[in-house]
Amino acid sequence: VQELLVEEVSI
Amino acid sequence: MSVSATSAFDASAPWQLSEQVSLRDEAFGALAYHHVNRRLVFLKSPELVAIVRGLSSFSSAHEAIDAHVDSSQHQRYVSALSSLFNSELLSGR
Repeated sequence: VQELLVEEVSI
Repeated sequence: MSVSATSAFDASAPWQLSEQVSLRDEAFGALAYHHVNRRLVFLKSPELVAIVRGLSSFSSAHEAIDAHVDSSQHQRYVSALSSLFNSELLSGR
């Protein structure tokens, strides 16, 4: 939980 | 020619954090977890977290952004909220 303001990851 | 069925994020409309979403504060900002679609989203600035938490207090996303960041950063944060909208983390009100 290592410039984008938002990043989605696959849980 | 095809027309997209998805709706676009309207920053002039009133928004709020979806009731299906939990925010957990982190050193970099916050983690957002959607309990229904199971999406996990990193909000990587404390200002963005403040904007998202305060959305329901403003009549538009534009106003919420203006309350927390400099005008030079405005469009960047509109794009960030648009991403959150696309992940279904925001709901209209």
